[in-house]
Amino acid sequence: MDLVVLVAFSSWLAPTLGSAFGREVFASVADEDKDYDSAFHYDYESLRIGGLVVAVLLFIMGIALIVTRKCTCSNSDKSRPRGPDVESAVPKDS
Amino acid sequence: MGYGRSDSYRVATTQDKVDKSPKKKKGAKDMDDLKKEVPITEHKMSIEEVCRKFQTDIVQGLTNAKAAEYLIRDGPNALTPPPTTPEWVKFCRQLFGGFSVLLWTGAILCFLAYAIQAATEDDPAGDNLYLGIVLTAVVVITGCFSYFQEAKSSKIMESFKNMVPQQALVIREGEKVQINAEEVVGGDLVEVKGGDRIPADIRVVSAHGCKVDNSSLTGESEPQSRSPDCTHDNPLETRNVAFFSTNCVEGTARGIVICTGDRTVMGRIATLTSGLETGKTPIAKEIEHFIHIITGVAVFLGVTFFILAIVLGYSWLEAVIFLIGIIVANVPEGLLATVTVCLTLTAKRMAKKNCLVKNLEAVETLGSTSTICSDKTGTLTQNRMTVAHMWFDNQIHEADTTEDQSGERGRGRRVPLFDKSSVTWLSLARIAGLCNRAQFKAGQDALPILKRDVAGDASESALLKCIELCCGSVRASRDRNKKVAEIPFNSTNKYQLSVHETEDVNDNRYLLVMKGAPERILDRCSTILLQGKEQPMDEELKESFQNAYMELGGLGERVLGFCHVMLPEDQYPKGFAFDTEDVNFQTDNLCFVGLMSMIDPPRAAVPDAVGKCRSAGIKVIMVTGDHPITAKAIAKGVGIISEGNETVEDIAARLNIPVSQVNPRDAKACVIHGTDLKDLSQDQMDDILRNHTEIVFARTSPQQKLIIVEGCQRLGAIVAVTGDGVNDSPALKKADIGVAMGISGSDVSKQAADMILLDDNFASIVTGVEEGRLIFDNLKKSIAYTLTSNIPEITPFLLFIIVNIPLPLGTITILCIDLGTDMVPAISLAYETAESDIMKRQPRNPFRDKLVNERLISIAYGQIGMIQALGGFFAYFVILAENGFLPTRLVGIRLNWDDRSCNDLEDSYGQQWTYEQRKIVEFTCHTAFFVSIVVVQWADVIICKTRRNSVFQQGMRNKILIFGLFEETALAAFLSYCPGMDVALRMYPLKPSWWFCAFPYSFLIFVYDEVRKLLLRRNPGGWVERETYY
Repeated sequence: MDLVVLVAFSSWLAPTLGSAFGREVFASVADEDKDYDSAFHYDYESLRIGGLVVAVLLFIMGIALIVTRKCTCSNSDKSRPRGPDVESAVPKDS
Repeated sequence: MGYGRSDSYRVATTQDKVDKSPKKKKGAKDMDDLKKEVPITEHKMSIEEVCRKFQTDIVQGLTNAKAAEYLIRDGPNALTPPPTTPEWVKFCRQLFGGFSVLLWTGAILCFLAYAIQAATEDDPAGDNLYLGIVLTAVVVITGCFSYFQEAKSSKIMESFKNMVPQQALVIREGEKVQINAEEVVGGDLVEVKGGDRIPADIRVVSAHGCKVDNSSLTGESEPQSRSPDCTHDNPLETRNVAFFSTNCVEGTARGIVICTGDRTVMGRIATLTSGLETGKTPIAKEIEHFIHIITGVAVFLGVTFFILAIVLGYSWLEAVIFLIGIIVANVPEGLLATVTVCLTLTAKRMAKKNCLVKNLEAVETLGSTSTICSDKTGTLTQNRMTVAHMWFDNQIHEADTTEDQSGERGRGRRVPLFDKSSVTWLSLARIAGLCNRAQFKAGQDALPILKRDVAGDASESALLKCIELCCGSVRASRDRNKKVAEIPFNSTNKYQLSVHETEDVNDNRYLLVMKGAPERILDRCSTILLQGKEQPMDEELKESFQNAYMELGGLGERVLGFCHVMLPEDQYPKGFAFDTEDVNFQTDNLCFVGLMSMIDPPRAAVPDAVGKCRSAGIKVIMVTGDHPITAKAIAKGVGIISEGNETVEDIAARLNIPVSQVNPRDAKACVIHGTDLKDLSQDQMDDILRNHTEIVFARTSPQQKLIIVEGCQRLGAIVAVTGDGVNDSPALKKADIGVAMGISGSDVSKQAADMILLDDNFASIVTGVEEGRLIFDNLKKSIAYTLTSNIPEITPFLLFIIVNIPLPLGTITILCIDLGTDMVPAISLAYETAESDIMKRQPRNPFRDKLVNERLISIAYGQIGMIQALGGFFAYFVILAENGFLPTRLVGIRLNWDDRSCNDLEDSYGQQWTYEQRKIVEFTCHTAFFVSIVVVQWADVIICKTRRNSVFQQGMRNKILIFGLFEETALAAFLSYCPGMDVALRMYPLKPSWWFCAFPYSFLIFVYDEVRKLLLRRNPGGWVERETYY
């Protein structure tokens, strides 16, 4: 089951973040003749957006999971039906 | 009145207030006194003596002056309403009870550490301050949450209260006056009639067919008659005392008040109940044990690293800060909330199944229960007499006693119905209908017969309902057979007879019908009706009658005999004046028709529930105020004494030897009489409770019920008590968990109980046991899960101290894990279903099977936690290495790294880093470490789903858990990527590749634990199980 979750997660992750991933590689290759002393730069903007999109998607998926057929998770359907209790013909008092 | 009290404190309603009291500061001697039997002696005195004692008059009653004097002397006739626990005390209990202590200690330590830092450093780090504040907030919020939860259940409790003020009819200065029951004083002459509640304990001076329902006091289902004669030394058994707040069912009586208010029998029970100290709940003890373990680990780690820090040359103050930091890092911040929410969820689930739990901690108690002491009347039985058997045509016939008379409930078989066409049966039904003074109250025609209210004696109502059900309207039959004379039942005759006209208008004879004690009836009969034909009574038939009588009596049933005769027309012509005072007609040479026997039958769901409790390893003991024979019969009926098990007496009877020669070890079952119980020493009592598996205590007083519960607890059992009457309430209070009946239960019992079965269904107990055991298992899982992440949270700090690397995980990120990402998965484990049939295993042993044990700590801290820490550090080192700091460069770098003035720190490649740049990298590492913990916690929550089974056996059906996995990941991504987080929480966006650093470790955890569980299943009882099964 762990694997399923893992694969599911990574399959979600890869396409969304793929762009950011690729860009990094591209950037490092293309900017070879740039100034080596400047700080590494990295497209944090799209990384942020990608990350947030994933977060929102996961969140919505989680909610959807709960909302759809939510009865199966709580054991409410397990309770047995009971017949009416016909008794206390002699009501008691303390 | 002028007492300045509200109405609710008056007699009718005061009992229900009693138990809310905090323990009164009473001497132990006082309690012992209350545990003794009732000290009433007035029943043995003559009426004159009683009058003299109270200076009252048997005709005139008290004078008004005297009454006023007594009222001032004795106080009002009401049970003392004990001071209720103020709301703020309840709130504080939530705030400082159990688990909160740990968090409070943590918070105080944090503030202390901050204070030290503030005093010694110029620019102290705010971490400790924030942590302290967060800890405080967590405790307060969780405290409020559980306070409101409990307030909600107590609100439901309030709704049970009945607020009708009580009146009493007293005779003062020769005049009948209606006064508030609260003003009744000792010596007052009071009159009660059918339907009244007895205003105080009274010594009956005259009575007319008076019967009282003592079931809430003694457990007897049948109303007891009351007369002026002393019939027994025991005041509870004698006929001439009627008790405060029992009900007068029929007839009238006049009596002298002998006790009022708290001095009444009922008052003593209520005082006893409210004065009882109750111990801690099992779960509270477990949590305490857990706190000990956690504190032990924390202090051990703290002290070890304190010493290490000193050795490594840190200053004292620094070392103290480290010590506090380590101790606080061990506090599982989220666990308090997790445990509270888990218990609340279970409480909700139980409420849905009609078990109302008053105290959150009591949710688990039924799961730990090893002994159930159950009251009989009203709990196991319906508290309603029902015709169970009939004997006619020389044969015993079974009547349907199930609650809805479908004949199908109960033990799942249909009760064979007898031949209703038999002439004998018709005669029997006619007698039972005619010779019967009970009648349905008006205006109930729409209700099913069994639900209708009946005016009259319990056994007569039983007959009435039985006949109405089998043969149609009794009233019509009574109308057809007009009653001309009647002698009501009295204890000297032991019979009741009535003379009727016959249905046939042409038949001018009279029909005499009689019912009563079978042997008396038989004596008056010379013939017997068989298959509708009258036959002379011979020895053989008498023998068969005796056998039937013995058999039905042996079932604990109340047997009545029926006979009739057609009076010859020549002696009793139409219009004959029957004189019932001086009997002028034939009352012997009658024709015997049959027997009918009645019992208060068990509730339908009880035998099944008792069986389930048995298979769950729970001992079920019956403790009743009723007679031993009835108690034993019901015990056999519901399976408390299982088929084939004999008592000492049974064995003696079977082998035909005296009881003394039977080895008590041979008898698994035993029935103990209350009077014998009184003479038993503590050792003998322990012996009985230990050596007999099936025990019935009969004729027990409320005090003895309490002693029995204490006896069971002394033997280490966790005791549940179920009951509905006032007589059960001390035992309910003393028990680890008291279960009261919501519909039929008395107010006092409901107040004393921890749990209330709203539908009076005993089977709900089984649900309670099941839910309790499940939540215990699931709490273990939740705790194992929550504790695991403690290690990856502590180790960064330890390495920070020991090898001087930049801090890999900060306080804020730790809180994000404990109070953020870990919460939902930890709570979701409460929804986990049972791994195996939890109702088939023995109850846990409170001394051995702990909620948290060393094995759990070893798994969580020592094994899984360590792998998690490795995962986190891997991510940390990867990020720093990508930025140029190879691990070798990091060791010992801390002082320069954290030095604000050092803005040219060189990495492994010689690049120079400013302070601010370094910090951004450090906080990126914190974020990565945090994300890594989330990733390894995925695997952790999945392995914590089960303790023995493989996840593949258990499945992933727990939707909340999957939801938890999604949400924690979403939260982690949000915290990392949300703009502004770098300022707010100092968390930075992570490159996608860094998310995957911990994946192999996550996978490793999963495989590691699956292998462990596989070994555990393969070798039951082997090394793996002994060392790692928590």
